[in-house]
Amino acid sequence: MTMDIIKAIDEIAQKTPTAIAYDYLGKTNTYRELKNYSDALAGYIDGLNLTSGSPIMVYGDQTFSMIVAFLGCVKSGHAYIPVDQHSPKDRLTMIQNIAQPELVIAIQPLPVKLQAVKTIEIAKLEAIFRQSNQYPLTHSVKNNENFYIIFTSGTTGKPKGVQISHRNLLSFVNWLVSDFNVPERPVILSQAPYSFDLSVMDLYPTLVMGGTLQVLPKEVTDNFKSLFETLPKLALNVWVSTPSLIDICLLEPSFKQSKYPELSHFLFCGEELTHQTAVRLKQRFPDALIFNTYGPTETTVAVTAIEITNAILDKYQRLPIGYAKQDTTIKLDNLNAQNQAGEIIISGPSVSKGYLNSPQKTKQVFLGESQQFYHTGDLGTVDATGLVFYKGRIDFQIKLNGYRIELEEVNHYLNQQELIKSAVAVPKYNRQHKVTALNAYVVLQNNTSRPAFEVTKALKQQLRQEMMAYMIPQRFEYRSSLPLTINGKVDIKAMIKEANSND
Amino acid sequence: MGTKQTVVDILKDLTGSDVSGNLDENLFDSGMIDSMATVELLLELQERFGIDVPVSEFDRSEWDTPNKIIAKVESMK
Repeated sequence: MTMDIIKAIDEIAQKTPTAIAYDYLGKTNTYRELKNYSDALAGYIDGLNLTSGSPIMVYGDQTFSMIVAFLGCVKSGHAYIPVDQHSPKDRLTMIQNIAQPELVIAIQPLPVKLQAVKTIEIAKLEAIFRQSNQYPLTHSVKNNENFYIIFTSGTTGKPKGVQISHRNLLSFVNWLVSDFNVPERPVILSQAPYSFDLSVMDLYPTLVMGGTLQVLPKEVTDNFKSLFETLPKLALNVWVSTPSLIDICLLEPSFKQSKYPELSHFLFCGEELTHQTAVRLKQRFPDALIFNTYGPTETTVAVTAIEITNAILDKYQRLPIGYAKQDTTIKLDNLNAQNQAGEIIISGPSVSKGYLNSPQKTKQVFLGESQQFYHTGDLGTVDATGLVFYKGRIDFQIKLNGYRIELEEVNHYLNQQELIKSAVAVPKYNRQHKVTALNAYVVLQNNTSRPAFEVTKALKQQLRQEMMAYMIPQRFEYRSSLPLTINGKVDIKAMIKEANSND
Repeated sequence: MGTKQTVVDILKDLTGSDVSGNLDENLFDSGMIDSMATVELLLELQERFGIDVPVSEFDRSEWDTPNKIIAKVESMK
């Protein structure tokens, strides 16, 4: 069992310095490089005399320098805030305002100048990496100190920073390493962006086990031809992704066990794993272990898991999300007698201490005195054996492509647009309860003779400046009015019904 | 129904708007089609035209405007 994630990774570097930690489409970096570079960076950060424990923003894409930066931060006693390079400027400034970082490490050029904050740009960073001086771990992040802070969707358009401590992360990593039969020194798919906590499912378990992160950059995933040229070359043992990505892979007949003989594990998280997807995958990879997992960012990546066997597929049409990990307790609140479903409440060592610098928002969902109980907003049922089933949401949060989206946040941005008088975004579900797209219904400010296509294009262009791309609705439909509730607000429920009435 | 009209219909379903006045518009660059919608597009084309578009041959740059999609479908029918 790992007691200290940072030390464990350093020990791998001492034992097997030439082992490959990171493989970016054939460009590889070793554990020695990971240690030396992060040591050098930690020493440099110490020299900046930042306020003890203050967070550091790390901005960039999926590259080795990003994970070096993460380790450099935590070695020097600072949490990191991973921010994806595709983030709009406004989001960067909002995160800056909430987190008040004193340092930004910009692996990619920042799209906006952040005032009153030190910046390390990539050229400087590479120069720092070249100074090789051993760094003794004297004040690395420990226990309840924050390890990382991931910003997630908030209903008002203002993101919330989920604080994950070393203790939180340790609970997750030890569970993943011990309970999933993952092979030693595994080669693991690293596809999710670092600003999305699904990436933590591959990142730290791989590094503490001395395995290799095989990177699948977004540009490769988005172009199916390059995706299928790349996948067979990765020689993966363990697949970590959202179910949506595997649905794309299953469109390709050659995605099967005989073509991927080393691939023995599939770990899914982030959204509903449908029965249909699991059946198809089991047919293609009859010998692989397929795990469904569940957990909000606030409880560190995932807290329940179950292997989806043929017996489970035979027994349940809607798949269970699993059993709580050993150190975690799940209970249901406000049980609805009719279907026995209630809000899923999670407690245990992987539950976050709350949202950074947001005591109000923290108080709303993290309850309890000596122990934190996180109220997820997810509805569930638990059977007599402790098996948990997901039954939907108590509010308007959805999962699309694994990303968590508050419909109110999307609506907030839509309604800020000059062209728009009122608008509502609603999820489109498939028959298996999975969200496949976000549809927007829009009433425009003025009657316009501009073709709908032009208006949609203009709106999307503007929205891309303001909100994360994954939150922008795919489909825009124009109406002369929208249904209202008795309070005079747009009736989201009625529109969800309408959007899903055709099938 | 002709190839062009069917492709325009499929794109209307996906984007919510009529693309017939913008047949050379890049659907990916303009954000009209995201990656989830690309999968839907591929499946719809296979279903409506009975053509087999291997996903591994789906190079975005060859399918990025309505006109290119129409030409591709014509060549595969």
